[in-house]
Amino acid sequence: MDIKAQLLQVKTDFESDLENTENLQLLNEIRVKYLGKKGVITSVLKSLGSLSVEERKEVGLIANQIKDFIEESLKVKEEKLKAKELEEKLKREYLDVTLPHSWHSIGYSHPVIATLNEITSIFVSMGFSVESGPEVESEDYNFTMLNIPPHHPARDMQDTFYLNNGMVLRTHTSPVQIRTMLKKKPPIAMVAPGRVYRKDLDPTHSPMFHQIEGLVVDRDVTFRDLKGVLKIFLETIFGKDIPIRFRPSYFPFTEPSAEVDIGCTVCKGVGCKVCKETGWLEILGCGMVDPEVFKAVNIDPQEYSGFAFGLGIERIAMLRYQITDIRLLFNNDMRFLSQFEGIG
Amino acid sequence: MRVPLSWLKDFVDIQTTAEELAKKLNLTGLETNLSKFGVYTEGLITVEIKDIQKHPQREKLNICKVYDGNNTYQVITADQSVKVGDKVILAKVGAKLPSKEINLVEFAGVKSEGMLVSLEDLGLEEKSDTLFLLDEDTPLGVDGGKLIGLGEDILEIEITPNRGDCLSVLGVAREVSAIFNFKRKDIVPALNLPEGDFRIEVLTDDCYRYCGVVIKGIKIKQSPLDVRLKLIKAGLSPINNIVDITNYLLLQEGQPLHAFDLDRIEGKLVVRKAQEGEKIITLDGVERVLSTDDIVIADEVKVLALAGVIGGDNSKITEETQNILLEVAVFDPISVRKTSKRLAVSTDSSYRFERGVDIERLVVVRDKAVDMTLSLAGGKVEGFKDIYRKPYKPVRITLSLQKVEKVLGEKLDPKECENILNSLDIPTTLRNGLLESVVPAHRYLDISRDIDLVEEIARVKGYDSFEPSYPKVPTQSFTPQIEFDFFKKTRDYFLSNGFTEVVNYTFTSEEFYQKLNLPVPPIKIENYILKSQSVMRDTVFAGLLETLRENVRFGKKDISVFEISSTFFDSYEEIRVGVLSSGKLIDGYGYTDKETKFSTTKEWDILTFKGVVENYLRSFGLSNFRIIPSDKSYLHPYLSFNIEVDGKTVGYVGKIHPKVADQFEIPYNCYISELNLKYVPRLLDESALKEGYLYTYYINKFTPVYREIPKYPPVKRDIAFVVGVDVREGEFEEALKTASEYIYKVKLFDVYRLSEDKKSLAYSVEFISPHRSLSDEEVNSIVDEILYKLKLKYSDLTLRS
Ligand SMILES: [Zn+2]
Repeated sequence: MDIKAQLLQVKTDFESDLENTENLQLLNEIRVKYLGKKGVITSVLKSLGSLSVEERKEVGLIANQIKDFIEESLKVKEEKLKAKELEEKLKREYLDVTLPHSWHSIGYSHPVIATLNEITSIFVSMGFSVESGPEVESEDYNFTMLNIPPHHPARDMQDTFYLNNGMVLRTHTSPVQIRTMLKKKPPIAMVAPGRVYRKDLDPTHSPMFHQIEGLVVDRDVTFRDLKGVLKIFLETIFGKDIPIRFRPSYFPFTEPSAEVDIGCTVCKGVGCKVCKETGWLEILGCGMVDPEVFKAVNIDPQEYSGFAFGLGIERIAMLRYQITDIRLLFNNDMRFLSQFEGIG
Repeated sequence: MRVPLSWLKDFVDIQTTAEELAKKLNLTGLETNLSKFGVYTEGLITVEIKDIQKHPQREKLNICKVYDGNNTYQVITADQSVKVGDKVILAKVGAKLPSKEINLVEFAGVKSEGMLVSLEDLGLEEKSDTLFLLDEDTPLGVDGGKLIGLGEDILEIEITPNRGDCLSVLGVAREVSAIFNFKRKDIVPALNLPEGDFRIEVLTDDCYRYCGVVIKGIKIKQSPLDVRLKLIKAGLSPINNIVDITNYLLLQEGQPLHAFDLDRIEGKLVVRKAQEGEKIITLDGVERVLSTDDIVIADEVKVLALAGVIGGDNSKITEETQNILLEVAVFDPISVRKTSKRLAVSTDSSYRFERGVDIERLVVVRDKAVDMTLSLAGGKVEGFKDIYRKPYKPVRITLSLQKVEKVLGEKLDPKECENILNSLDIPTTLRNGLLESVVPAHRYLDISRDIDLVEEIARVKGYDSFEPSYPKVPTQSFTPQIEFDFFKKTRDYFLSNGFTEVVNYTFTSEEFYQKLNLPVPPIKIENYILKSQSVMRDTVFAGLLETLRENVRFGKKDISVFEISSTFFDSYEEIRVGVLSSGKLIDGYGYTDKETKFSTTKEWDILTFKGVVENYLRSFGLSNFRIIPSDKSYLHPYLSFNIEVDGKTVGYVGKIHPKVADQFEIPYNCYISELNLKYVPRLLDESALKEGYLYTYYINKFTPVYREIPKYPPVKRDIAFVVGVDVREGEFEEALKTASEYIYKVKLFDVYRLSEDKKSLAYSVEFISPHRSLSDEEVNSIVDEILYKLKLKYSDLTLRS
């Protein structure tokens, strides 16, 4: 067989070999077989010496064409095989990503603390400071300095836990008002979130619950300002359209005093069980700081005026999440707490 | 307080609906709900009992013939006290009573054409013993529902402690008149009582005024229907005419009265302080031991009554009473309250005295009482004695309109203010732009300052009439809210690490501490509701265990929770964060697919739990803490530790002791940590910033300063040290890190027990020089130096080849 025919045979052989190559390792073997130092092409080219110059030129050209052809084909095939192998590797790594994740589960906020923090944040962003005080309080701070003298019937408004050390568990966050005014000079704008205690136990009353207290003291603070601040607050919590009404009430430490109702969030004012058919829900107590309180903390009531407010957090949380029994809030049953995913 | 609308109408000319009345009262300071006096139904008529026969078979039943003026009905009743001639209400067939509809029925063969009703049948009383008896002169055949006012509106008013003046029909009428501008009315009898010649002595200033009237020859009987109905509607039970009169006037006028059986009084009547240990059996049958704080009404031999609180059994009105002494008096509010509180007896009388009684109206009430007695019980007035020791001196208040504006934020019309105050019976005149008011006796406890008048004006005008405004923001007093941020950050850390927030009661039981052999904390509730909630806890741990136990009960053993709350000590409180994890961190699943095989389940262990706590501390830059042995008996002795910062313990971490797990029936694989967050002093001048509390470190935390990133790459060496098994890795690592200035990073990668007493600690150590790349030879000599230094502390240290 002449060399030309040999070369063409090589090409045919190569094509058939390539056709049957299914992986990169075989491909490499083919590469060595045809293009290696001892490869088919090389040995064919070695035998060129026996040819005439003319023939050598012609055969050389063909040989180089075939060599180029083989190289190019190998390259294409290699890429193809690489892509195929990658695809296979990816396939082997398949995992059903709808399987449950293997990170720890989510932590749930407590609905009361979430509400308390949310409300505190609203006032903080209005420029109020956050103050705190102890939960074991003197009767002085809890009552007397708030214009609730001993033997006053107003002490009946809050059923008090008395302690073996002559103190009480604070019945409201209002003593923090006193503590703050004794420490700071006006202007004062503060809130005091915290735990408070009353001797009460039924589906809507817990012996321990949470309140937030607010106090603003400055020159020329008026009842209308009180209405303004509370309006902003209530609209932030309950939405822009919430109906609000102020009713005269009585707290010894404020004068005038008011209770604030919002339109029932359950029945939208039509009347239902939650609002006892009145269409209104009592939400907080407030008023202008009584001069007696200012006198107790050495602030001149002629120069300064102020307003104060206080609200129970459990009630707001219960309304918001439609919780019917307050005791659920303190059982820490995961079946209960895990219902409040995604709150503050 | 229950105020029947019909009674209110006796004192004010009401020109509006009950609904409107309630609504407006609500908006002006009296929290009012409307209710009805029973439910009106047709088919109730007044009848007279004409004949009574025993039921032939049923001994307990009476067969009555009743007559309504036209027809006679046969009705069966179980009431044994019925008499021929009694006038009662018959519920005819078809009448709808709250409990049932009346049908024609037969009792053992005898038919009953309806039912004779008691108050209970009408839903007006919890339990009735007898039928409801009408007056003898009641006309027959009239609508019984209308007669007794079924379905009438009742105002249920919650009176705040400052408004003692509204604890009466009259007081509410005054409010209604002021708010609506309705006309008032009142009929005061014109009596001209003679002074009596009996003796009353008042020996204490706590009796402001004492008036006694002696009436002789009265007859005790049932009060007329009108009086009885008013009492029932207001929520009281009629007793007899004399007692009813005192209750009636108390409700109507707000003035408590008391009636003594005159014939039980021996000698003169004395109002005095009780002697220590003196005793009295009160009307409720309880023997009370008195103290010198109590005011008593006594005669020359015995105590007759606890003044202003409750009468005595020895001088009470009985069926046989013929002569009475009516007491109309005013006692000191505080004294009455003290007695009422100490003896735990609160009455309609003490309730009103505590809140202030109109001392100036006393004479009017006395005359009404006498007038009523004469007409309801007959008799003749012997005379009265009125000892007025502390005459009322009204406070005068001047209120400027500037003050009104300063408080309310709005200029008000002076004339309008004057009118409002006058309408409330607070006599006021406008003079030179100033309102001059005289505080009337019915408001003497509530009104004493100009601000009190401002409130009166504002509330009658209506709070809703004031437009909201906004205070100037006091930016000059701005302070960063570091404390709020600190707690928020703490909370967010644990939440985002998969911990659920819990809230436990801060009170627990003595039993909890006794069970754990721990000392019971010092602060206890004296008047606790439950003994199991009577000790103020000194650890958050108590609540967290309870949380776990509760959840285990419902089959949930794997929980991760935290609580930020208070703990209580003698003179201070600590806010702590308690963290508890139990069972599995991840309750996952196994997976096998050819050579892929894994499990996503991960149990909690002490090092994972430690990581949670440690990362929390590092989240605000606290890394210079020390791990020292824990002293907590309820923790595993070898899997627990305290965390110390600057020599102060800030908390503990540990696995629960297996004995505790058993005791509380919780899983043993349970980890708990408590960290002191903030010190809360009770004294105002003591600082809350104290060492040993994370908030203190948070506030003083240092700001990291940039250090140049090394220019030369580090040289890495793996070095395995052979040390005694007792060597604590944390301490060894600390020693290693500081053994050479060239050490850049140290990372433990293997701990290997070699023998009974030796282990190997293998570290990957990175060396670096700020000035050049380190050569192998240099690193070798650095390692030698490190070894030399470490050997000073760990003498038997070798390198593992
Ligand atoms: Zn509603």
